Amino acid sequence: MPPPRFPIPQGTLDMLILQILSLEPAHGYGIAQRLEQISKSVVQVNQGSLYPALHRLEQKGWLKAHWKPSETGREAKFYSLTTSGQKQLRIEKDSWARLTGAVKLIFDEGAAQ
Amino acid sequence: MLRFLRSLLGLPSNRADFEDRMSEEMRFHIDSFIEDLVRSGLSPQEASRRARIEFGHIDSIKQDCRQARGLQLLDELSRNLRQSARLLSKTPAFTLTAILPLAFCLGANLAIFALLDGVLLRPLPFPDPGRLVLLYKTYPNAGVLRDGASPANLYERRGRIAAFSHIAISHPDAAIVGEPGATVREDILLVSTDFFSTLGVQPIFGRAFQEDEMTYETDRVAILTHDYWTRHFHSDPAAVGRQIRMDGQSRTIVGILPPGFTYLSSKAVIYTPYASAPNERGPAQRHSGRGGELIARLHPSTTIEAAQSQIDAFDASVAHEYAHAAMMAAAGYRTKIVNLHADHVASIRPTLLLLQTGVFFLLLIGSVNLVNLLLVRASARNKELAVRLALGAGRWHIVGEVITETAMLTSLGGLLSLFIAAGAIPLLAALGTEHLPFAHRITFDYHLASIAMLASVLTGFFAGVPVAWLSLRGSVGAALQGETRGGTAGHAAQRLRHGFMVAQIALAFVLLSAAGLLRLSLERVGALSLGFPSDHLLSGHISLPWPAYPQPQMRLTFTENLLTTIANQPGVHAAGIVSNLPLSGNNTQSGVNVVSRPLKPGELPRVPFAYSVGGSYFDAVRVPLLEGRLLDAADSRRPDRVCVVDEIFARHYWPSGGAIGERIFLGPVLKKDTDAFTIVGVVGRVKQTSLSETTSQGSVYLPYGHRADNNFYIVARTAHAPDTLNATLARIVRQIDPDLPINDVRSMETRITESLTSRRAPTLLAAVFAAASLLLASFGTYGVLSYAVSRRRREIGVRVALGAPPNAIRMQFLVLGLRLLLGGTCLGTAGAWAAGLAMQKLLYDLPPLYWPNLAAAASVMLVATLAACLIPSHRAARVSPIAALSG
Repeated sequence: MPPPRFPIPQGTLDMLILQILSLEPAHGYGIAQRLEQISKSVVQVNQGSLYPALHRLEQKGWLKAHWKPSETGREAKFYSLTTSGQKQLRIEKDSWARLTGAVKLIFDEGAAQ
Repeated sequence: MLRFLRSLLGLPSNRADFEDRMSEEMRFHIDSFIEDLVRSGLSPQEASRRARIEFGHIDSIKQDCRQARGLQLLDELSRNLRQSARLLSKTPAFTLTAILPLAFCLGANLAIFALLDGVLLRPLPFPDPGRLVLLYKTYPNAGVLRDGASPANLYERRGRIAAFSHIAISHPDAAIVGEPGATVREDILLVSTDFFSTLGVQPIFGRAFQEDEMTYETDRVAILTHDYWTRHFHSDPAAVGRQIRMDGQSRTIVGILPPGFTYLSSKAVIYTPYASAPNERGPAQRHSGRGGELIARLHPSTTIEAAQSQIDAFDASVAHEYAHAAMMAAAGYRTKIVNLHADHVASIRPTLLLLQTGVFFLLLIGSVNLVNLLLVRASARNKELAVRLALGAGRWHIVGEVITETAMLTSLGGLLSLFIAAGAIPLLAALGTEHLPFAHRITFDYHLASIAMLASVLTGFFAGVPVAWLSLRGSVGAALQGETRGGTAGHAAQRLRHGFMVAQIALAFVLLSAAGLLRLSLERVGALSLGFPSDHLLSGHISLPWPAYPQPQMRLTFTENLLTTIANQPGVHAAGIVSNLPLSGNNTQSGVNVVSRPLKPGELPRVPFAYSVGGSYFDAVRVPLLEGRLLDAADSRRPDRVCVVDEIFARHYWPSGGAIGERIFLGPVLKKDTDAFTIVGVVGRVKQTSLSETTSQGSVYLPYGHRADNNFYIVARTAHAPDTLNATLARIVRQIDPDLPINDVRSMETRITESLTSRRAPTLLAAVFAAASLLLASFGTYGVLSYAVSRRRREIGVRVALGAPPNAIRMQFLVLGLRLLLGGTCLGTAGAWAAGLAMQKLLYDLPPLYWPNLAAAASVMLVATLAACLIPSHRAARVSPIAALSG
């Protein structure tokens, strides 16, 4: 039996998508696979829920999309980061780092007592 | 439309394409997933199953995607629009009943708003128009509220008031333009050098006037309007430098004005220099009014108040240069500065605002009518809504639906109103709006159309709110249980409908009583007399050009020849001339003193209307003689100066009689003893400015020979209809001087009718609005009562079956109608009082609450309401118990 998987924390999906796309452009299925690999199946993403997030990010102008042949030859929608998407990723990483730093600090404080 | 909205919001522009690609993207995902699963060893069926499970519910994901794109709001809107269109087209009778009255109300509002916009709201067509001001002199204690400017007022101040960047003077005039035999009288404007730069306008060809052109010897130049240049010089730029013949003299064209240039409401087509002699520019001429209009442009950093205090300080510092400064101070002399646009429209402003308020009331009544119609229908659909609510329809969704439907109705009404307004605006011109200031700006344009559409959507929104409220208010259970009575929501709806009904009656009552007041006022003014019989009196204006008639003797000879010829025409009883004909707009007033009564310190001279009269003026006009004798043609040639005064002037100085033989003189001092005029007669009062003129400083009539103005009116008393002599008059003038046109030829009756236009037009419009509001209110009453009857059919049936007499049932509904009427009238009386107060300026001799008028309005309302109640109550009385109880 596989270990229990965590549902993905609220709001982090956008950041993960941006992070994956910052490495190279990918289509939706590719992003889903990458998520699966990177998180080593610890994080559970309902695959379909990726798409509303992609549309939201595209609407915000952080992603741009174009159709081109995939590795199998079939046309697929490839997403890539826009300049404002890169900026957004930096902002989110930064605030994530500060949040986790703060959480860690609180935990450490608790352990020190 | 929707595509436009989408691109506005940055949404995907092609909806079908968007859907296709979204599906394809998800299909690709699932297919790829299945392939990978098959490759890892699953059977195709199992792979397909797993892939679909892991992917999730595809339709709800798609919906989430659409929501992420913001498309669902648009979807809902278009669904609502489609559904509303379906509902409205299914009930064409209802749709038309709702749309038509509203379209009329909106159209009427739009037409009146076109007036308001063109006249009051749109700024003057000059750069930075808010800085343009007008300066006028006022002597309130002497009864002269406003006097024209003289050249001295310009030249003494130019460059010496820091608040003004430019200052200029203008004076409307007319000139006889063209070659001999083909002359036309054209309106012209005399202007000083800085006139165009004050307005911020430059000629497109040539130049503006220069300082050295501002004397009588050097003013032979002219500037043409673009329109005149196009018509007479075929837009040839080489027209600059050519000659134009005006009043028999050649002038050089030095400039062409930009297209569309008009100074306020001036109809001038040619501009010439406002010439003056050096002695006219000094302190001695400071208080002479030559009918000029002084305008200025304020510096950007200053205000009207600052300019006013600078002018006051300047006037005080130079007051001692004028010989009779103390008298002027006693008269309350001051130069007032006002905004040019505001001042130009000041007289018409209250009327326009009143009309707009009235027509807005009409729109309110129309909207209330619509709301009541919608409420009736909403009550009928209450159960349907309750079912939908019970099945989980969102409340906001239903609100959206209701508002969409009303907004759609009102927008259709708005569209229709565009046509109504486009047709009504030319009709307004027939009512006399062409005489309003800025009449040329009263047009129907896209600006107006967009305001109409915005207003109609807003109306729809506000009309939809009570309907939506009602739709959501009732509890689901009650609505479903209520068989015929509709439960609590039904009662609430009824109260709401009755409340609106009362409001509607009140509004209609206010409009009726306001229209009544205007009508009464018009009747009262129309019944007044000018002070002489106005029938069979023809008059026309002649302006003798200075160059051709420089000497008073020449002018006198001309008028004598003219009057002799006219008096010999068959059908003419008597003919004369007068410098300022009553109601002609020429209202010259002069300061007059009595020789035997030197002014005490601080005492002011009277400023009566001063008339120069020639020929048999008094015989022609038939002003009643009270004492002494009248002036006749011979008085112009006699060396001893005589005059006639009116009863008001005589009574002021000699309350117990004895005016005859007294001597008076014009101006502050008697220079030569022979300049004085001996009073030989006292005549009755003649109203000069309007039929409703109340205050007057009196009148003084002098023989034309002693004061020969070059502008005068010919007046002839005729045996037949005066208009039959129009052509004869023009022919006789041309016989004596082929260059000379006569214009403004009209009968006195016509002048009276035209002088009442400013009262008649609003009265007529108010009557139309009142009639429409009455119709709408009765229609509304009818609707509400009919609905009440139809809802209570079963109850009535039971009562009839138990033996209630039909009359009792009829009475019940009549009483309901009368109760609504009573409520509306009480509320309306308060409104009528407020309206009467607001209209005081426009009314002649009427209090704000005039009971006979209110009673009349109330009886009209009563008749209309009774008529509206009759059919429904009659129908109620005839309800058959069998049909009602089995139906």
